[in-house]
Amino acid sequence: MRILEATKIYKSYGNKFNKQEVLKGIDISVAEGEFVSIMGASGSGKTTLLNVLSSIDQVSHGTIHIDGKEMTGMKEKQLAEFRKNHLGFIFQEYNLLDTLTVKENILLPLSITKVSKKEADQKFKEVAIELGIYDLKDKYPNEISGGQKQRTSAARSFIHQPSIIFADEPTGALDSKSASDLLNKLSELNQKRRATIMMVTHDPVAAGYCSRVIFIKDGQIYTQLNKGEETRQAFFNDIMKTQAVLGGVQNEH
Amino acid sequence: MSINHLILRNLKKNLKNYYLYVFALIFSVSLYFAFVTLQYDPSMNEAKGSVKGAAAIKTAAILLIAIVSIFLLYANQLFMKRRSKEIGLFQLIGMTKGGIFRLLSAENFILYFSSLLIGIFIGFSSSKLMMMILFKFMGLETSTTLQFSEEAFIQTLIVFCAIYLLIMLMNYLFIKRQTILSLFRVISSTENKVRKISVFEIVFGAMGIVLILTGYYISSKLFDGDFTTMSELFIAMSFILGSVIIGTYLFYKGSVTFITNIIRKKKGGYLNINEVLSLSSIMFRMKSNALLLTIITTVSALAIGLLSLCYISYFSAEKSAEKNVPSHFSLTTTEDAEQFKAALKAEDIAYREKRINVIQVNANVAEIMDTKLKELNFDPNNMTLPVISDQSVKDLNLSKDETLFTGYNDIVEKIMSLKGSGQIELKGQRESISQKYKGLEKEFILPYNFTHGGLPVVIVDETTFRHLKNDINPKIQLESSLYIGIDIKDKGKIEEANNIFQDMTISKHPTNLSRLEMSNNQKQVMGLTMFIVGFLGLTFLVTSGCILYFKQMDESEDEKPNYTVLRKLGFTQGDLLKGIQAKQLFNFGIPLVIGLVHSYFAVKSGWFLFGTELWTPMIVVMIIYTSLYSIFGLLSVLYYKKVIKEAL
Repeated sequence: MRILEATKIYKSYGNKFNKQEVLKGIDISVAEGEFVSIMGASGSGKTTLLNVLSSIDQVSHGTIHIDGKEMTGMKEKQLAEFRKNHLGFIFQEYNLLDTLTVKENILLPLSITKVSKKEADQKFKEVAIELGIYDLKDKYPNEISGGQKQRTSAARSFIHQPSIIFADEPTGALDSKSASDLLNKLSELNQKRRATIMMVTHDPVAAGYCSRVIFIKDGQIYTQLNKGEETRQAFFNDIMKTQAVLGGVQNEH
Repeated sequence: MSINHLILRNLKKNLKNYYLYVFALIFSVSLYFAFVTLQYDPSMNEAKGSVKGAAAIKTAAILLIAIVSIFLLYANQLFMKRRSKEIGLFQLIGMTKGGIFRLLSAENFILYFSSLLIGIFIGFSSSKLMMMILFKFMGLETSTTLQFSEEAFIQTLIVFCAIYLLIMLMNYLFIKRQTILSLFRVISSTENKVRKISVFEIVFGAMGIVLILTGYYISSKLFDGDFTTMSELFIAMSFILGSVIIGTYLFYKGSVTFITNIIRKKKGGYLNINEVLSLSSIMFRMKSNALLLTIITTVSALAIGLLSLCYISYFSAEKSAEKNVPSHFSLTTTEDAEQFKAALKAEDIAYREKRINVIQVNANVAEIMDTKLKELNFDPNNMTLPVISDQSVKDLNLSKDETLFTGYNDIVEKIMSLKGSGQIELKGQRESISQKYKGLEKEFILPYNFTHGGLPVVIVDETTFRHLKNDINPKIQLESSLYIGIDIKDKGKIEEANNIFQDMTISKHPTNLSRLEMSNNQKQVMGLTMFIVGFLGLTFLVTSGCILYFKQMDESEDEKPNYTVLRKLGFTQGDLLKGIQAKQLFNFGIPLVIGLVHSYFAVKSGWFLFGTELWTPMIVVMIIYTSLYSIFGLLSVLYYKKVIKEAL
């Protein structure tokens, strides 16, 4: 089943006279339970793509369906409603609220959807234990490490069981140990809960944990790699090779 | 881009952000200018009556300057912190500190002095209005003219230039002390970080509430007779002041955190959006602003309290004049009375006359005295009281050994209250008469010059009165033993009669009184005080409202990332705004409510010293204050709305 279906998305900034096209006709489809990563050099448009897909930004042309619902053309209120029920987010800068404890931060998405307190507690317990942060529940974000913060952020994105989770450079601010911890947890949750995750990264190691990697260059899809039955190491090597071809400035002009 | 261009750009941007600062500046300049204009206006001193209008306004102007300069310096400090990044950037691209200082000075100069000129202009055009308000308050009818006073202009310029220099000095020191790095870091270091609630905070929080409540409790007992000497009273008052102010500080420092924490604990981590935005943020922020909030609360309580008291006094001017002068006019000699009556007849004004013989007698009232107050300058065994016969009072017949007291001033009564019954002794020159005291009546019969300013009048039987009169002690008698009260039959003609009275030489005699004149005098004094306290209070309200608003502006910028997160999570702008409204309700509401409650208890404890009506004046003042104050809360919500909209 297709969770996300985007066809011919264009996104441009600026006005009529000074237009900059960032996305030039991208088609993406993501199936349920997939762990997809988007890679590309700085300025290739990967963050814009993520923003557009996650309804934070509007497309110039094209259509996006998530869970069979067309998102393009929705009003601000409908979009908020949609994000609240169908989407989860993990950001590079954690984006936890400083004034709330770990538990309060994680329960935030549930407070919008009017889940009973008991059920919320139950859900919190499950996800927090899975991510290994249950003991931290009464701590404030500035009392815990970056890795723990990012796991809190991940727990927040999983707790309301969204259709798809968008992660923007989730390992960007972490050391390698915390990063691999987080990625392990993410892929565990991906398999256990059949959660669909779409992750933007430029770390090939992080991309190695995914089942599919989409490479973007100058606003267009350059190529895709499927992990298939390969080992993670072999897949990582493939990614490195592709990145080497992709990277660098072309001197042909 | 040249420096001038940069200055203009900054100005434009700042004007948008700090329109409220400009408004407050213009407001205070115009108020100051108007005050100074009044001070130099010749008609102020022509204003009849004993009120020294100009001197009072001069004092007010000085206070005004104190409030305004503190506000301007504080606001400037806030702005400098906000702009520290920009200053760091200028330094980074190679501008010298002197250069930056010149840039800021020029920018400030334009903003400040254009507001100053606008303020002076507004002050000039509104000074006539102010004067009309003042005269209206004072009940005077003097024609006012619009005059531009050069002295006022120069004084205003000098004072505000001095403040400008002070601000510049502060900026200079600020820039000089900073390195590029610390300038970048300044914002993060000023806001204190989220911490766990410590035991100290819980103790402080509880203590704050206890201190405030103790202060309130003692204030309600202040005049109940528990404090019997002046020094005890004084200690009690100082204690109330101290415990309430310290309590307020601790309340902001600990109690708010403490209470919100309890509420949060109850929620077990499951907060809804309103709680996320209001509770969690207030919990940590109020603490860091504790001192500021304490000052704002205390001064607003003071302003509300003073204003209420003045208004109470103004409101009950007529009633208290009635107590002091029971008839419309009160005279003490037959000649003066004849003269006045002739004048009234000439104008065809009908009147009623009342004559009462009054003698002063020393009385021993120790037995009926219900007070422990020791340090009064009288001896209850030998108190000089006015005595009249029961025949002078309508519908009253006492037996030979009975005595009735009447017309006891509220203030005096609070200090030395009387029992319901007992024995007293009236001392003549040679012998004393023992009398049975029957109680205290409310009615006022004699004007204050016969009653030593508010002591009760002793009514005795006619025979006893005659007896006492024959055995009189000449040393303690007043100049006159005759009270002549004249009441005008037609109430509409009292004013006319008063004008006649004032034009006659008999009005110069201090024992010849006019009730209307007295009430007008009180209205004048209280009107002037009310005018001054009112405008000072208004200035304080505007400046403290601005400071709270600026604080909220800062806070909203700090919390912008949070709004981004929340909106990404699927909260709509409307959801967030609702939470913000709740938050602002607390942010502005808590200081306001505490200020109001403080002033309520302050007024409640001593209002009877000022007048006869408590509720109407106090509630009017409080409602006006609250509604003006709420405007700033609303403005801050609007600002938040903008920030939330931009957050995604």
